Amino acid sequence: MWIGTTIRLAMLLGLLLPATWWSAAAGSAQESVDSVAIVIPASRSNQGWDQQGADSLEAVGEARGIDIEVVENAGYEDITPILLDLAADGVDLIICHASGYQTVCPEFAQREGVPMVVTENPDAVVEGLVSDYETQAHQVAYLAGVLAALETRTGTVAVVVSGEPPTWNYMTAGFVQGVHDTDPEVEVLYNVIGEAAYDDAPNARRVTETVIAAGADIVFGMGDGASFGMIQAIREHNADAGADEQVRFIDVIGDKSDSDAADLLLTSVLFDYTGAWNQFIDDLEAGSFGTVYTMDLENEGVRLLEPQIEVDDATMAKVEEARQALLVGDIDVPEIADADELAAFLESLEEGAE
Amino acid sequence: MSVLETLLMAAVLSAVPLMLAATGEAIGQRSGLLNLGVEGVMLAGGLAAFVAVDLSSSFVVGLGAGACAGASIGLGFGVLATRFAASQIVLGLGLALGGAGLTGFLFRERYGLTQPLLAQGMERPFDGAADIPVVGLMLFGQKWFVYIAVCLVVLAGYLVRRSRAGLVLRAAGDSPFAVEAAGIDVSTVRILAAMSGQALAGLGGAALAIVEVGFFAPGLTVGIGFIAIALAMIGRQDPWLIAILALVFGLLRGAGTAIQLTDLRIQTELLDVMPYAGMLLLVVALGRRVRLPATLGLAYHRESRGA
Repeated sequence: MWIGTTIRLAMLLGLLLPATWWSAAAGSAQESVDSVAIVIPASRSNQGWDQQGADSLEAVGEARGIDIEVVENAGYEDITPILLDLAADGVDLIICHASGYQTVCPEFAQREGVPMVVTENPDAVVEGLVSDYETQAHQVAYLAGVLAALETRTGTVAVVVSGEPPTWNYMTAGFVQGVHDTDPEVEVLYNVIGEAAYDDAPNARRVTETVIAAGADIVFGMGDGASFGMIQAIREHNADAGADEQVRFIDVIGDKSDSDAADLLLTSVLFDYTGAWNQFIDDLEAGSFGTVYTMDLENEGVRLLEPQIEVDDATMAKVEEARQALLVGDIDVPEIADADELAAFLESLEEGAE
Repeated sequence: MSVLETLLMAAVLSAVPLMLAATGEAIGQRSGLLNLGVEGVMLAGGLAAFVAVDLSSSFVVGLGAGACAGASIGLGFGVLATRFAASQIVLGLGLALGGAGLTGFLFRERYGLTQPLLAQGMERPFDGAADIPVVGLMLFGQKWFVYIAVCLVVLAGYLVRRSRAGLVLRAAGDSPFAVEAAGIDVSTVRILAAMSGQALAGLGGAALAIVEVGFFAPGLTVGIGFIAIALAMIGRQDPWLIAILALVFGLLRGAGTAIQLTDLRIQTELLDVMPYAGMLLLVVALGRRVRLPATLGLAYHRESRGA
């Protein structure tokens, strides 16, 4: 009989000990983070969301001396097999760098106990397990809108987007508000290439040609890989156009000032993930993982690229004035994540202008 | 240049890669070969063309490289599908997936994390006559390869419909034993069809990369290859009908962009569906069923009469 009791006790201990260890580990510090992985949906050469996320992490890894693994072209489907593979490799932290992963990653973190970072899902934050980062670039997009309104010669600017995810919607609303506040007479054309056309360069090119034909001389493009379709449309237009008819491009996320697009790049809403990635690693090591990090104008997680084309000092002074007003809270920029709300907002501005 | 003129011009330009790829697929289908890997072939053609232009600064060399890449893949596909009776479904899917992966890998090997763009666009030979209102740009404002592509599709249509070679091609898909009885090797016919057809698909990829967008990027085709397969089928493997359908498809896509510039508020998802819905309506309106070659997708065995 005592043998049976001993076996039962051992089994009970076998069940309880890992559970006790796990509940202690969940909120405790990880001695050191040795490896971090990032999963990106598309190619890391798109000079947009994917590349910027991966490049920033590699820079952080190099500075801190930790191993970085980049999993690219993971697509927008269920990435569980990839996550299982990374967990089996023993990575200390996985960054799920797409809003499309905001459900699968928190679930996986809970199930497998691997710390994860998600984006645009603050509700998923779990102490010790899931952190979230928000890229609210609406304020910097507002500044881009101010610059566009001051620089347009035709009185028409365009916003071309490769989809309507929250990140793009925030920036669209900010940009349009910036244009409207600076010069309500400036017309803003808004065009969506497709539902998730992030790499659809052929259609991006066609849409951009169309908005140029409709009179836009500044195109604010949010596209990832599709951005190059927009850029090529502008380059081809500019090759045949006179000096007064040149179209300029405002980019987002990546810095294309060293690329073939430099000659038509007015500015860019740059995303710098370095601060966010460092914060998450610090949190994990300090035992305070499970927070929301917001990249914004104040912490320079998002900032405006210095104009790449000559812009006069008076214009830049007005942009700087707007930046200061944003920092002290004198200007309120709408935060709109939802596509339907964005449509209603654009319509209300249009009606106001009329 | 008005919005309407721009949309019409862009619709023709964007129809070119699609109609070339669909015509190429149609030639293969006529012979009894179903290649589901057009997407991969187009990507291979696009990459080959871009690298060739990058090295030679010649669009002719680039287009030739794209066609050669397609023809080489077509040769491999044809030999495996006929001489080795490999499953065309498996081969096609392998081509689609392998083409996407391999071109992405090769592009990265050559260009790293940069995204080079072609510095110069292709010339427009009849630009001077493009002043005619509304249709002038669409007809005369195009890049020179657009006219070549239209000529190629017209020629392909003529050959498939009217020539003796076209008769043999169609017979290889519908009644291979009749071809064999006439003393012609069915496998050879199918291999030649695969080569010429996939050369056109590769040329379609080349047109997309160096004529339409002016650069190559991994996954550039974004599904055009799969649309081409469907277009070849609903266009009843007729290059002339395929060309018209490709143009309609381009126009419907452009219409979505135009609608967004108006005061009409229609959801993006609905606008995305519009070209496909329009094509379906057109097929219904044409009033005839899609007819596929009798032995499409089946290996030919001389010994058995069951294709």
